Amino acid sequence: MSNNTAAEIRRQVERFLPKVLKPSRYIGSEWNVIKKDWDKTDVRMVFAFPDVYEVGMSHLGTRILYHLVNSFPEFLCERVFAPWIDMEKELREKEIPLYALESFQPLKKFDVVGFTLQYEMSYTNILNMLDMAGIPMRAEDRGLEDPWIIAGGPCAYNPEPLVGFIDFFLIGESEEQLPEVLRLVAEQKKDPVSRQDFLRKVAQLQGVYVPEFYHVTYKEDGRIEKIVAEEGVPALVEKAIVADLDQAFFPTNPVVPYLEIVHDRMMLEVMRGCSRGCRFCQAGMIYRPVRERSQETLLKQTEELVRATGYDQIALTSLSTGDYTCIQPVIHNILEKHGAEGVGVSLPSLRVDSFDVDLAETVQKARKSGITFAPEAGSQRLRDVINKGVEEENLLQAAEAAFKKGWSTIKLYFMVGLPTETQEDIDGIVDLGKKVVNLGTKLGRRNITVTISTSIFVPKSHTPFQWEPQEAGSSVELKQRYLREKLRDRRIKYSYHDVTTSYLEAVFAKGDRKLAPLLEWAVKHGCRFDGWSDQFRYDVWMEGLKELGIDPHFYANRAMDYDDILPWEHIGSGVSKQFLAEEHHRALQEAKTIDCRYEDCTGCGVCPSRGVQIELKG
Amino acid sequence: MRLRIAYTKIEDARYIAHLDLTRVFERAIRRAGIHMSYSEGFNPRPKISFGFALAVGTEGEREYVDVELQEEMDLGEVLARVQEQLPPGIRLLQGRALDQGAKSLMAVLNAASYRIRVPMALPIQEERLQEAVSGWLGREHVTYSRYSKKGPTDKDIRPWIKLLEAKIQGDEVIFDLEVEMGNSGSVRPEEVLASLRELENLPIELGELQVIRTGVHVSYEGGKSSPIELA
Repeated sequence: MSNNTAAEIRRQVERFLPKVLKPSRYIGSEWNVIKKDWDKTDVRMVFAFPDVYEVGMSHLGTRILYHLVNSFPEFLCERVFAPWIDMEKELREKEIPLYALESFQPLKKFDVVGFTLQYEMSYTNILNMLDMAGIPMRAEDRGLEDPWIIAGGPCAYNPEPLVGFIDFFLIGESEEQLPEVLRLVAEQKKDPVSRQDFLRKVAQLQGVYVPEFYHVTYKEDGRIEKIVAEEGVPALVEKAIVADLDQAFFPTNPVVPYLEIVHDRMMLEVMRGCSRGCRFCQAGMIYRPVRERSQETLLKQTEELVRATGYDQIALTSLSTGDYTCIQPVIHNILEKHGAEGVGVSLPSLRVDSFDVDLAETVQKARKSGITFAPEAGSQRLRDVINKGVEEENLLQAAEAAFKKGWSTIKLYFMVGLPTETQEDIDGIVDLGKKVVNLGTKLGRRNITVTISTSIFVPKSHTPFQWEPQEAGSSVELKQRYLREKLRDRRIKYSYHDVTTSYLEAVFAKGDRKLAPLLEWAVKHGCRFDGWSDQFRYDVWMEGLKELGIDPHFYANRAMDYDDILPWEHIGSGVSKQFLAEEHHRALQEAKTIDCRYEDCTGCGVCPSRGVQIELKG
Repeated sequence: MRLRIAYTKIEDARYIAHLDLTRVFERAIRRAGIHMSYSEGFNPRPKISFGFALAVGTEGEREYVDVELQEEMDLGEVLARVQEQLPPGIRLLQGRALDQGAKSLMAVLNAASYRIRVPMALPIQEERLQEAVSGWLGREHVTYSRYSKKGPTDKDIRPWIKLLEAKIQGDEVIFDLEVEMGNSGSVRPEEVLASLRELENLPIELGELQVIRTGVHVSYEGGKSSPIELA
């Protein structure tokens, strides 16, 4: 790489930019972009999203942290996304290093490169982006002149497959923790100490996990024998958490992209956390407890967002927005204040009940296209196993309400391969689908469509199902084929997830440090964008597993014991292992667990252990 | 009120795709606190319309957009307020209120002019250059093959050309090109130069050419004018 100044990179990139797909992904001069004076900031960070621009820019966490870091005059934060295949080819051919969008500075010049881990199948993109930046993938091959490579986000709750590449992980919510980290980086730049000494300091911060201080030994059968923390670092790294969400930083001047992104609208985070307690759901465990924002805060933020972005739609986001206690007045007030300007509201997550159908009706501006419900399992028994508090009656009432209010397409989401699943549960999916579609016909609706989509259960760390195996791919495929046969009806559309992708997702979700060489191998053999079905190369992955002598079944399809040391044993979400085990047990007994928001404490452990509490505003 | 606005689409704004441009203007106008008129129907869209699309990466020195507002406003104020909300590279040059029945941009525009800079692959003398241009223009028909997934299609590009001039500047050739545009299509500047290189053996480096659309026009027998003057 000849001359890698920002100006030279820009000059070279502009020569071929019109030839690549969607060039406005790569120019970084969008509305509300923050361009700071490079020389006048102490610490320069680049926030790296290991997927394409349209996906990364739709992610609320990215929006929050970009503006949060930039809110400190001494810090600078820029963005980089995984360049699409065509752009990568151009950059590599012309030996142009991966650059950050705002300044066109190469990644190598930053002090910190922070990746967000939203999805296991984006791990190869992380390594590939480092490679494109000319930064050694392995931490041990990097020097003090290289940036610190850090990572956070939900997948950091089992960071082990990425150990060796990432210098340290930020566990939990980063609003308070990340600025602390950057302050230490500033100190380090002023008065450098050794890598070890710096990492020891960082490891003292809440939720910071420095993997090289934790030593893992294995039994002969491949299971973990023990995980030993070095002296001076916490044995259990507990997540960072925002105690007062209402007062927490929230950007109301987000970057407005030129090209259409996946969620191309304003996002208003009405609450964080969900205590419904679905036993497969990692987000429902790791973001506890439930904390709501006040109506006043939300209305003020809406006003600012509308002024600063010019968007005509605002999404009320959270894990389960129908549960937000002030949902009706907030919707009412937003529409009253901004409806005349053409601003509409969207609700990305609906509960399976008629109350939420009413809400959807209130906010529906355009033609009623589709409404989505997620019963997740086909039978009452299995819904009790997963603690999805939905009765068939709720679903049918919700569907009836939707048809009566004019919707003609209802989408139903299910999972296959859930723990304890039998043929009856699969038949339950068919039954429910048929009941819903017949209900529509009975109500005299013509041209109705019921879309049934099944994903494949992937056991995730820090959930009651973390000990569970994933069902073998061959058997999942039989179920998919069965459903395809049984759901042959011109009013029903059936779609399902790819078995091989979900299989590798499970391998990494439950994986340990021994998978790191596999990631490296896969990247060297051309794997990237594995979450994109047109790019995913299962055969290459299988070849890598074979060559490295790694048994994927050991990770994906093995039931773990309660007394197994889990690969993520030293990472704490605040929810106790004891509680997860009890919940797992209750699942097998088909016993439901209540939502602590409305009833008694269920003893998950997060509030007492972390000195936080449920915060409802209604 | 209906407005016609002339603007630039240069610098970074040249990478904004034509389909994304509506959103860019729509959001800028909304940020400016100006109320646009919307279409009727299930999915109301603001009334914003453009002329012929500009290829992504090509700068436009004078492009046009029509916008309809809910209320009568001072033209200068609209331009000033919207300008403040536009990204770099989009500069508003001029505006004019349209009469109620004024035709849309797509209905009136029928020509475009380009300036193209292209490096020489081998030294070219002024005389040789002029010979090549007049030789090319002297042809009654010029067949150019376009390649697509369906295979090549031949097209006679000569009838679309209204003007082609060239001059030498340092080791570059500067072309001024004016072409007709219509609903049945047009010809791209790259195609004209590729044809010129091939048919007249003119040694120009097409991989490095820079195209600027200097304007779009309403052209008629013997002259042309801007859609703003005409409106």
